[in-house]
Amino acid sequence: MDDLEQLYQTTYTAVVRFLYRKVWDADRAEDLAQEVFVRALAHRPEKPRAWVFAVAANLARDEARAAIRRKRHLTLMTNDPDQAPAPAMAPDDQVERDERLTAVHDALETLTPRDREVLLLWDAGLSYPEIAAQTGLAVGAVGTTLARARKRLVDAYDRQHSKRDHAAHS
Amino acid sequence: MRHIPDEELHAYLDQALSRAQCVEIESHLAACHACRELRDGIAALRDRTTALLATLAPPRRFPPTLDQLSEEAAARSARRQHIRRAGVWAASLAAAVALGWGANTYFSPPAPMRVASPAHVPAPIAEAPADSGVPNVALRTDDRPAPDPSRSRAATPSATSPASAPPTASSSARRPEPTIIEPPRIEVSTATLPPIGSDGGLGGIWRTVSWASARNERGDSVPHLDGLPVVEVQVGQTQPGGNKSIMVVAQQLKSGQVIRTIEGPAADVSELLANRSGSPSPWPTLEGAGISGGDGAMALRHGDRMLAITAPLSNDSLRAMIRRLNAEMRQK
Repeated sequence: MDDLEQLYQTTYTAVVRFLYRKVWDADRAEDLAQEVFVRALAHRPEKPRAWVFAVAANLARDEARAAIRRKRHLTLMTNDPDQAPAPAMAPDDQVERDERLTAVHDALETLTPRDREVLLLWDAGLSYPEIAAQTGLAVGAVGTTLARARKRLVDAYDRQHSKRDHAAHS
Repeated sequence: MRHIPDEELHAYLDQALSRAQCVEIESHLAACHACRELRDGIAALRDRTTALLATLAPPRRFPPTLDQLSEEAAARSARRQHIRRAGVWAASLAAAVALGWGANTYFSPPAPMRVASPAHVPAPIAEAPADSGVPNVALRTDDRPAPDPSRSRAATPSATSPASAPPTASSSARRPEPTIIEPPRIEVSTATLPPIGSDGGLGGIWRTVSWASARNERGDSVPHLDGLPVVEVQVGQTQPGGNKSIMVVAQQLKSGQVIRTIEGPAADVSELLANRSGSPSPWPTLEGAGISGGDGAMALRHGDRMLAITAPLSNDSLRAMIRRLNAEMRQK
């Protein structure tokens, strides 16, 4: 099987997820992911996996500059009844899921851009050397950054959770 | 005894360490209770992070196949060529308009150019050569005059996937069949068409569509002049269902003049053009579409389809434009 084909089959979903966590729009994330692979097909990069995520990160960065992003972000955060929720889910589950999603999203946003990038790249399946190459960090610094990023994400999430619980009980 | 630092345990659990480093850490863990606890804590933190991030996943959909994306990549390089062609188009259009205007000024009487006098215009629409007796390399064994699938496909190429095309059409696309060879001469004539009788009315429905959905519907065969802004696309349907629709694309020149390119079943297009001359139109929004009697028109027929242009321009301009448009559409 073609290297790129194999990469496509194994990482497409990870690229969509990676982009989604940056642009916060499922459709846009899919569009950009497809754009990434269309470009990969044209360029045939030497190290396709690292290349694909580097291009994805660049596209997401360009996207973030566009003012539209903020509007879409709002759409995601308000539980818009017009945006049909997954039908299998009961309304309560949906609300709970949305709240959780918002909480994780907010927690992720409290991280510094570098910590967030390293964490998302790790979660997308990149190795330490690949993360180092993309972010400009030393390989040895990736573990330190990941250790900090994980702790901050979980702490920020827990803080928000207890704040919300506190608000709900008062 | 040196305890293992946090980040090293992260790297260990992330399988980012060398075999030697792992052995070193594992032997320490076997002997150090505190580090084992730390490791378990980090493993739990790691799992929680993964679980939290997992909630930030878009709904899963079926991704396109890589082949589809390859097509997109190929289409893109074709589009780059297309943009280059658009430049040529714009230049030749400007030349055609200038030429037509010049010819008008010098050779035409100042009176209105085209007076609708249908009785004196016998057969205004040029048939494709195969049907009009012009020598053609096409070898036709049947005696039906117009419909020829390979020809009409060539005139209106579609962007649908090859798999959905009928086998005859796709095989004729691969082999150089004589019937799709460009005719040696294209007959063009002004289309000051005879008005149709009251019984010939079409019960048509017009709808205005976006450029994107027009491209979706027709692919590359949306009639238009590259390089000019599109102001409106209308689709008329005389028979429900099927691909019998007629498409009118309005584009604007810098001067504000509107050029309409029309593609559809020959009978419908000629009827549409005929109704320019002021008789009550059976097409509900024909007047709204702005195709007025004052506009010149040129039409070209290919089998049972017809391509036409209407614009408040001279015949020379229109002739140059429709020739170019025809060549352009057949190339796609």
